[in-house]
Amino acid sequence: MKLLEVTQLTKTFGGVHAVSDVSFSVSKGEIVAVIGPNGAGKTTLFNLMTGVYPPTQGNIYFNDTDITCLPTHKVASLGIARTFQNLQVFNNMTVLENVMVGRHIRSRTGLLGAVFPLWPVQVEESKIVESSLEKLALTGLADKAMEQANSLPYGQQKMLEIARAIALEPELLLLDEPAAGLNSSETRDLVDIIYTLRDQGITIILVEHDMETVMEITDRLVVLNFGNKLAEGTPYEIQNNQEVITAYLGEEGL
Amino acid sequence: MKDLLKQKRLRHALILLFTLIIFTLPFLITNNYYLSVLVIIGIHTIVVVGLCLLMGYAGQISLGHAAFYGLGAYTSGILTSTYNVSPWLALLAGAVGTGIIAYLIGIPIFRLKEHYLALATLGFGLIIHVILMEEVELTGGPSGLSKGIPYLSIGSLVLNNDFKFYFLVWILALLALILANNVVHSRIGRALRSIHGSEFAAQSLGVDTGRHKLQVFALSAVYASVAGSLYAHYITFISPSPFGLMTSIQFVVMAVVGGLASIWGPIFGVSVITIMAESLKEFMPLLIPQAGGEYEIVVYGIILVVIMIFMPDGLTATLVKAYEGWRYRKERANETP
Ligand SMILES: Nc1ncnc2c1ncn2[C@@H]1O[C@H](COP(=O)(O)OP(=O)(O)OP(=O)(O)O)[C@@H](O)[C@H]1O
Ligand SMILES: [Mg+2]
Repeated sequence: MKLLEVTQLTKTFGGVHAVSDVSFSVSKGEIVAVIGPNGAGKTTLFNLMTGVYPPTQGNIYFNDTDITCLPTHKVASLGIARTFQNLQVFNNMTVLENVMVGRHIRSRTGLLGAVFPLWPVQVEESKIVESSLEKLALTGLADKAMEQANSLPYGQQKMLEIARAIALEPELLLLDEPAAGLNSSETRDLVDIIYTLRDQGITIILVEHDMETVMEITDRLVVLNFGNKLAEGTPYEIQNNQEVITAYLGEEGL
Repeated sequence: MKDLLKQKRLRHALILLFTLIIFTLPFLITNNYYLSVLVIIGIHTIVVVGLCLLMGYAGQISLGHAAFYGLGAYTSGILTSTYNVSPWLALLAGAVGTGIIAYLIGIPIFRLKEHYLALATLGFGLIIHVILMEEVELTGGPSGLSKGIPYLSIGSLVLNNDFKFYFLVWILALLALILANNVVHSRIGRALRSIHGSEFAAQSLGVDTGRHKLQVFALSAVYASVAGSLYAHYITFISPSPFGLMTSIQFVVMAVVGGLASIWGPIFGVSVITIMAESLKEFMPLLIPQAGGEYEIVVYGIILVVIMIFMPDGLTATLVKAYEGWRYRKERANETP
């Protein structure tokens, strides 16, 4: 079943065609990678899918609903969560609080409840803490819960972004270069986490430059080059695609 | 989990201690003037607590909060003196009405960012001030409400002196603090702080940033309105002058001096600025005999600049850090034989 469908998506910034005429779809339960050289339009694609800005042309469907021009917070409430290439951790909050924000759409306390936290509000609050701690345990940050988010080393801040994103209980998770800046043991942990999430039924699209990891974990790849979709297929197909080799892998001397 | 509980207990203990101090003070202070300064500090604290929620937690500035303060004061003043409405009902009406007005004007204003937002709130403040000056039939114009505003009373107890009013004001100020503290540690408070941390990420987690900013703006307006109502019943006479731009700036300075992201900041900032303003009133004519009211704005300007440069987190945070540093050094000194 199709979870996400992108049709003829185009985004131009001034004269730059960051994404042009890209179509692809992702099925439930898949792990799909979007790869391509620097500036290929991968992050722009994620930004379009999460409503950061509207596309110049084209459409995005999620669960058969047109989400093309929805604002970011509405897209999130439909069940798409993401992490960022440049860390966007809430530095002014603790690790636990960061993840608790991830529970925002799964909880209901309004301003009145916030001002006067009666019993139901407190019950909800402890549920938020409980499930947030669960996500921290899953990402190996359980013992950092009370620390200030910006005191964590880089790799753990990246994990924190994942914990925060999955706290939302998304159907679709977008990871923008999750392995960038991680050492090899952290990358192993990341791969394990991604498998765990997939087993929990979360569909994952990731942008990644680490080819070894990408080829190992993905079911399918979409290759972008200068905003265009160059190829799409299984890791095997992509590794043997002459166009991809010359345009992208060839560039890195492979 | 344990740490969380410990933190919460510590917060509660601090509030309790502070409450004790606040309510023994009036028995120790016999000078009426000092008592009245403390009452004013209490009233201002209520406004600034709300403003801190807006500035420190939602990351938005308002240069028009004196207008909400004025709306509360005038609603109470007019309803009780001209229409004989019960003071408590009038206070409630003012709070609800001001909250709604803030929400409505917030809708267009919050489309703006940073200094444009600041200018828009400033403009709103000026408009309200002009209305208070010009709607002579309703407000009495520049000379103020002519009929006397009644004192507040609780049952048969009429709060007709500083001592009695002190307790009401500080009970409400503490309540304001506790409720604000609730907000900060709630789903809404986290959403607000997340906007401050990264608006981009907050939205990606489903936080409707615009809506939450608007709500807090309205809440802070309600705080200001309640404070204004208290002011009206304390002084029992109101004119437009205390509800102008100068007061709005004063509130912002108080919030910034106290430090925006702590619930203790407001009390501290308000105290420092109010006491300073009172002493300036006394000493300025001695220093510069020909100085008018304008020196105040100069002093506020200087304070703002100095605080922003040397203590961007506000006075409270700076003092806490200094204390922690001192304690750390002391512990280290004890360790080394
Ligand atoms: N907000 C923007 N305004 C103008 N140009 C932009 C904007 N965002 C991206 N671009 C341009 O669009 C192109 C694609 O950028 P994008 O960030 O999507 O690439 P990427 O594939 O994520 O690259 P990287 O691997 O370096 O992260 C680049 O040429 C970039 O300069
Ligand atoms: Mg990118």
